[in-house]
Amino acid sequence: MEKDLSQVRNIGISAHIDSGKTTLTERILYYTDRIHTIHDVKGKDGVGATMDSMELERERGITIASAATYCEWRDHQVNIIDTPGHVDFTIEVERSLRVLDGAILVLCSVGGVQSQSITVDMQMKRYKVPCIAFINKCDRSGANPFRVIQQLKDKLGHNAVAMQMPIGLEADLEGVVDLVTMQAVYFDGENGEVMRTEEIPDALRDEAESLREKLIDAASMYSDDLMEAALEGEVTPELLTEALRIGTLERNITPVFMGSAYKNKGVQPLLDAVTNLLPCPADVENQALDMNADEAPVILSSDAGKSPVALAFKLEDGQYGQLTYIRVYQGSISKADTIVNARTGKKVKVGRLARMHADQMEDIDSISAGYIGALFGIDCASGDTFTDRNSRLSMTSMYVPEPVISLAIAPRDNKSQNNMSKALNRFTKEDPTFRTYVNQETGDTIISGMGELHLEVYIERMRREYGADVETGMPRVAYRETITQKAEFNYTHKKQTGGAGQFGRVAGYMEPAEGDEFEFVNKVTGGSIPTQFIAACEKGFKGCLAKGPKMEFPVTGIRIVIDDGASHAVDSSEMAFQAAARGAFLEGYARAKAVIHEPIMKVVVESPTEFQGAVMGSLNQRRGIILGSQDEVTMCVIESQVPLSEMFGYSTVLRSATQGKAQFTMEFNAYRQVPQSIAEDLLKKAQEGKKNVA
Amino acid sequence: MLKKDLILRNPLRLLGQEDQYILPEGGIGAVLARAGVGKTALMVQLALDTLLREKNVLHVSLDDPVDKVSLWHKEVFHNMAEQYNLPQINQLWDSILPKRFIMTFKVDGFSVPKLEERLRDLTEQNIFTPQMIIVDGFPFDDTALEPLQQLREFSNRHGLRIWFSVRTHRHEAPGPDGIPPQLSNMDNLFNVILQLQPEGKKVHVKVLRGVDAEKDYPELMLDPATMLISRND
Repeated sequence: MEKDLSQVRNIGISAHIDSGKTTLTERILYYTDRIHTIHDVKGKDGVGATMDSMELERERGITIASAATYCEWRDHQVNIIDTPGHVDFTIEVERSLRVLDGAILVLCSVGGVQSQSITVDMQMKRYKVPCIAFINKCDRSGANPFRVIQQLKDKLGHNAVAMQMPIGLEADLEGVVDLVTMQAVYFDGENGEVMRTEEIPDALRDEAESLREKLIDAASMYSDDLMEAALEGEVTPELLTEALRIGTLERNITPVFMGSAYKNKGVQPLLDAVTNLLPCPADVENQALDMNADEAPVILSSDAGKSPVALAFKLEDGQYGQLTYIRVYQGSISKADTIVNARTGKKVKVGRLARMHADQMEDIDSISAGYIGALFGIDCASGDTFTDRNSRLSMTSMYVPEPVISLAIAPRDNKSQNNMSKALNRFTKEDPTFRTYVNQETGDTIISGMGELHLEVYIERMRREYGADVETGMPRVAYRETITQKAEFNYTHKKQTGGAGQFGRVAGYMEPAEGDEFEFVNKVTGGSIPTQFIAACEKGFKGCLAKGPKMEFPVTGIRIVIDDGASHAVDSSEMAFQAAARGAFLEGYARAKAVIHEPIMKVVVESPTEFQGAVMGSLNQRRGIILGSQDEVTMCVIESQVPLSEMFGYSTVLRSATQGKAQFTMEFNAYRQVPQSIAEDLLKKAQEGKKNVA
Repeated sequence: MLKKDLILRNPLRLLGQEDQYILPEGGIGAVLARAGVGKTALMVQLALDTLLREKNVLHVSLDDPVDKVSLWHKEVFHNMAEQYNLPQINQLWDSILPKRFIMTFKVDGFSVPKLEERLRDLTEQNIFTPQMIIVDGFPFDDTALEPLQQLREFSNRHGLRIWFSVRTHRHEAPGPDGIPPQLSNMDNLFNVILQLQPEGKKVHVKVLRGVDAEKDYPELMLDPATMLISRND
């Protein structure tokens, strides 16, 4: 049975690696009776957590693809997307956030706000997702939830307020004090399923009172009623919760909960908070673009009677063909409906609809606005919008970063050849940051993505899920070429070899442009190049960009201005001007001091302070610029910018330099010029490569 | 060429000595102001001026995370570049970036031996050797004298120039020489003391103590909109 929309929550659980979000999800499913036994992430029973359904995920103890599941808590339906924590998979996080109405930001009570928490927080900001925070692992030694709250304020700029305080910490963690109801909450039973409320222990009462005052102060900014009640000393839990909800929905306040999912403490109050404080689908304004009205934004309403609008946010290859996860934003989608893919214009009939619970499913008849579900056997790409025949709405496109690393792969045998192409076809549909193409010169199949681990995981999945055994080449970095100075060109293309001749002259200059864009400016006056050939000139120049003359890397950041030229009444043609533009490009480029740019990654290492020197040394050896180090008492965070080409195999180096106690995250930062010596090496390698091909 | 432009046009050099550094080698200086007046902005300009002269700057912050300090540098640099209408600022920025190092500490966790230990990590591996240090957020309280003396010695030993920001308070009246009470027992340690004094909508840069006591320093202002120093004419 579907619930009233106000009783629906679509939430995500986002966090830094190893903050325990999969464990938390596991406990949520257990307390909401969706599962009946608890399996730990790297548990001895070998079953693995329910949400980590892929074999590979269980083995590595990380969550790669975000599985969707739903559960019920106090008459509310909660749809949960378990999101991956590794930066290499952020497209999954971004996609999840796009379809969610609220999120739980999980933080480790020891590690606090870590680098990935900052990335995830930025993504939440981008999609304006309201969130509550859960400080996990309060049972670990060194736990200090209030330090984490301070970090939420300092590092992420959140107006974080404690909703609870711990009763005991580290090994003595017994429960939490609820600062709204002013009761001590303990978690009894074998798996903490029995909540027992008692008076606040005397030793904690004063601190609890003072924290509650701070909570009321913060919340009263969003409710006059609460402000008045506070002045009169008559604050009720309902009034306080209502004010907190308003603040949370506006992203002005971040309520902070605490506990230990692994020790079964503090999860049920967090579920209460999901239902009490996070938005229902109707609280969130969603926009689509009207393709029939020049992409004018349209506000969607959850009215079931309106034309359906649904976004495919995730694809999976299941035993019954392609499984497409969708979120319906407007209207509803039912079995046997005909829906239209707004991108391709293709009509498709809805065969089977399901509600997902990790890798198990439940058949349902329809999905209404505000809900998440899955379609079977529908061919589409991730990010596609489905509507009906009456409207052409498209959900705003998602931000997709360009891949920065590529790898040549080759199947080991014939069977693998087929399976590999099946797998690649599937993966590229599922993940827009994963691309594949065939190198025309070498005939190699190239895959590209957001990092070494990103590609490794897909190769591993090819092996396991598709039985495609592949050999891999050395990873290749996506270098680029650009020019550093203005250079003029004046090139005449003339050919007379019998038959119709070819003639075109193109003159002007090229200069560096900010950003990655190619800019073409036509300043030709007096018709020296007839208007009908200007487009051919642009095409000719554009054609040169894919493979730069210097080292055959794509050319970016260039502005080409043409201001003169000549044509011939008979011999000029589009082809002649395209050829003239190519000649002009080569002529100008040779004088424009072209350089090679390489992707620079932002690398953040978190390490115990005693290894700080070793870590900095390791980054420095990799041509890294160390921006700074942040001292966090026992831990330190080192921020640096390192060329991607130097980062291969860094995880092994870091592990051995720090006894496995440090971890790092890496994301694309910018393109920067390659030093001369490295550029020469690259040139040498490119020449050798060419010889080998020849 | 670009760097030279930015160095020459920097009004801060008017406060400098013959080599145009405000502080002598081994010297320490202070920038005084109340909260929110622009201490960090002025310190960052001192840092950028040194970076543009291809000298290494270590920015130690006891308040802000690395990202925030980095953002300060970037903002002030872009404002400077915009004011002088400089092209290709990204390249210039990339060229000074390796010369800057940011270290942040928790106020409670900061000590001079710890700073020296962190610096040793860097210098011994030839990663970074500072020529100027900026210390932002150092608590000038009862316990400040000893670490300050240690830093003064450290500065002497390594021929550094160290700048401190000092937060003053409205309710504490300064001494006759304009020195606030929290520096009264340690002001002899400072070679230069600059004060940011808001007057109406302007912020004046006053030289309370200069390297050259005889020198008639020009009047400088801090523009609250761009946070840049300019001449008051």
